Amino acid sequence: MMIESLISILKASGADAWELTDKVTEGLEFYFIRHALDQNRMKRVEHIRVKVYKKSADGSTVGSAASEIPPTADEGSARLLIARLVDEAGLLKNPVYTLHAPGAALPPEEELPDPNAVAADFIRALRSADENENADINSYEIFVSNHRRRFINSNGIDVMTAYPSSMLEAVVNARKPGHEIELYRMLTSGTCDPGEIKRTLDEALACGRDRLRAVPTPALGRTALVLPARTASPVWEYYIDRTDAAFKYQGLSDWELGQRVIPEGPGGNATIRALKKLDNSSANAACDPEGAPVRDLTVIDRGIAAAWHGSRQFCAYLGIEDSFIPGNYGVSGGTMTESGIFASPCLEVAEFSDFQVDPITGSIAGEIRLGYLHDGSGTAIVTGGSVSGSMKELAPGLSFTGSTRQCDNMLLPAFTRIENVSITGAV
Amino acid sequence: MKAPFSSYLDSAAPALKEICALLSAEYDYVSILSTDSVGFSMRIGQRNKTVSEENLTTERGNVVRVCRGGLYSEYAFNMPISASPAETAGEILRALSQQEKAIRSLGIEPFTTPVLDDEPLTLRTEFECGILPEEADRADLVRRFSALSDRGVRAREGIIDCQATLTSTHVCKMFLSPHRDLRQSYVYSEGNVIVLGTENGKTEMARMGYAERLGPELADRIEQGLDEALDILRDKLHAGSIVPGEYDVVVSPDVAGLIAHEAFGHGVEMDMFVKKRALGAEYIGKRVGSDLVTMHEGALSAVNVASYAFDDEGTPACDTVEIENGILRTGVCDALSAARLGTQPTGNGKRENYEHKVYTRMTNTLFDAGKDTRDGMIRSIKYGFFLDGTESGMEDPKHWGIQCIVERAYEIRDGRLTGRVFSPIVMTGYVPDLLASVSMTGSEQEVFGTGYCGKGHKEWVKVSDGGPYMKMRARLG
Repeated sequence: MMIESLISILKASGADAWELTDKVTEGLEFYFIRHALDQNRMKRVEHIRVKVYKKSADGSTVGSAASEIPPTADEGSARLLIARLVDEAGLLKNPVYTLHAPGAALPPEEELPDPNAVAADFIRALRSADENENADINSYEIFVSNHRRRFINSNGIDVMTAYPSSMLEAVVNARKPGHEIELYRMLTSGTCDPGEIKRTLDEALACGRDRLRAVPTPALGRTALVLPARTASPVWEYYIDRTDAAFKYQGLSDWELGQRVIPEGPGGNATIRALKKLDNSSANAACDPEGAPVRDLTVIDRGIAAAWHGSRQFCAYLGIEDSFIPGNYGVSGGTMTESGIFASPCLEVAEFSDFQVDPITGSIAGEIRLGYLHDGSGTAIVTGGSVSGSMKELAPGLSFTGSTRQCDNMLLPAFTRIENVSITGAV
Repeated sequence: MKAPFSSYLDSAAPALKEICALLSAEYDYVSILSTDSVGFSMRIGQRNKTVSEENLTTERGNVVRVCRGGLYSEYAFNMPISASPAETAGEILRALSQQEKAIRSLGIEPFTTPVLDDEPLTLRTEFECGILPEEADRADLVRRFSALSDRGVRAREGIIDCQATLTSTHVCKMFLSPHRDLRQSYVYSEGNVIVLGTENGKTEMARMGYAERLGPELADRIEQGLDEALDILRDKLHAGSIVPGEYDVVVSPDVAGLIAHEAFGHGVEMDMFVKKRALGAEYIGKRVGSDLVTMHEGALSAVNVASYAFDDEGTPACDTVEIENGILRTGVCDALSAARLGTQPTGNGKRENYEHKVYTRMTNTLFDAGKDTRDGMIRSIKYGFFLDGTESGMEDPKHWGIQCIVERAYEIRDGRLTGRVFSPIVMTGYVPDLLASVSMTGSEQEVFGTGYCGKGHKEWVKVSDGGPYMKMRARLG
């Protein structure tokens, strides 16, 4: 059904406020086994989502209820659904807040790339990887999408953003007689960066060859852990999550603005910034999903919590009026060189099964699939075992390089080092 | 009562069948999966309360699958079609033909696959249910969950928040091909009581989760979970860090389920056999566990959130015995992989939703029960741990490594629980070693359906898993 009809229904619904998001996605997908095409897919979908707000009689509280309205819904069913949402919103009593109001005009909509051309770039990049009889690509999946998102609310915002997103999932094999291993890579981005893809795949193939020679990780007790940018993002996301206004308001973060939350160490004094734009990021929309313009914002300034960020509701509860939900982040402030990071013994983990940092407790956990044990005199390639500890206790031992590497929407130190991590051996 | 099938899908069926017929003139194989699943989600706590008439598994849309010259292609859409099926069929044909031409221009060869069977089959299954999600009394649920949340924060000192959550979905799916017309509808719900607390500068969260083939009446069970959630929170707040090492352990049925899922659930998804990504392909007929290990997988292996009458490729549901007394018998398979491997599909072809591709996916993955008791297992251990509560896991079908993040380990010394707790626990190891070490299995099997399963790091689908209490030897960190 037409968006204008939905707006009319929302205006007449009795809701005290409302939001409507209309997102149209055109996507191409290609699935390969080796370099033969397993399957190709196309996607043309529209997702219309409405959210209505209803205040209590005295105006002190507000509730909200949301739903998707299928494009196939007729006007009558949409009207019934919205009426139901208004009733449901009236059941909920959250502290009152207001929606975003129109702000500065957004930059002109950027022209979206031709998805067929982007997909062709991906396919050519995959075929250019440094494969040989001992290391090659097992399978890969390419996803290329263009999105157009219109956001309208009852305060007068009516903005359109358009942005591309892409994803590559690749599995590489390495083998020697009687033994074959695999490694997994997932890359997200705006469009195709052939150079970055080739570099990632070549690194993966090299890691695969290393894993063939890996020995079981010994029980190391407490050791310094070094993470390349690709595996370090959960560590930095822990700090970003804990400065999210929703985390703060709901009691999941006990940090305060002005408090030192990342100790300054010999290896750096961390600054984390939300970035309006990062080249080829998949999160470069000019406004956030609630219609707020995205801008640069320092979240943690040289180790000190500097700003809450996130959704309108929770930022409003913390007294922040110019809030937004960031899409990109950058970490800076590292003073270590790459050689300095590896100057003393450490375990560098290039591959985990799944590395996690719990945003509430700070607990870290991950099984080691490929590591390099640098003991000062040489390097052993290891596999198996796990890392564990808590960032709350480990943070004073955090150091990182000034050099950076971009992982989609995150610009991260090329290497992050954490002292005294507990390493369980594989034997 | 029966969960009624979607009147929207019934009304759309003639137009979709016409699209199917029109495309059949151009392709060797055509099928359409259409979905119309409605539901809601609710989260009620002290600091925030939300209601949505949607959740992760609500959807309405269509995906057309075609095959020509051995290449399978799909087109997913959710725009209206009934006005002009011929126009919609023409648009699909044009779009896919253009894409096929672009593929050929790059010199890409298809992974040639036989044409799928389309044996005649008609099915209309409306499973039994209680209250439908769309008919649940939201005001009553909000009132009850608000009371539960109030009770939770007053229960003990240091409780920051107590939240109750409920999602409920009325699934309706229709599979159409020239010779098949399959329609099914069923209801499932899941929910949690979650408590967040702090003590001596430490903050932890604990939850009791429930998932059943029930409607919103599942709220009755959620309301009963508060005391247990509070006990788990107390244990986590007082937990220490375990000394890494290999130990005798007793695992609870939910941890057993996580092991089943990560060990030989993913390990025998046969689309991984096609890609030569699974070690399991080389172990069919061979020993992979002790005599006490028997494992089932299938939509008919249990009645829980992942149970259905047919999968997203129109294959009827099965109950597959994957491991029988320690011997790996077979894997589970989607239809395309089965055609490529020359075997039969097992009803395990699933999509995250109509917008996503089919992969071989798990449904209900379960270890069989044995004869032992939990207390008997604990009594048999000189020093070790009782593992309870799951957080996450990760598969490794190529190398049979396993990673399970377990919530709590309770110390066992001289056959008794000492009261000491450790959290969180990273359990790792080599799957055949872990399963070979299974030395006792409990007499009662439990099934858990609160989790979602990804393939790699995406493609999230509902699954359930479970088993009995089991004794084994595991590496903990």
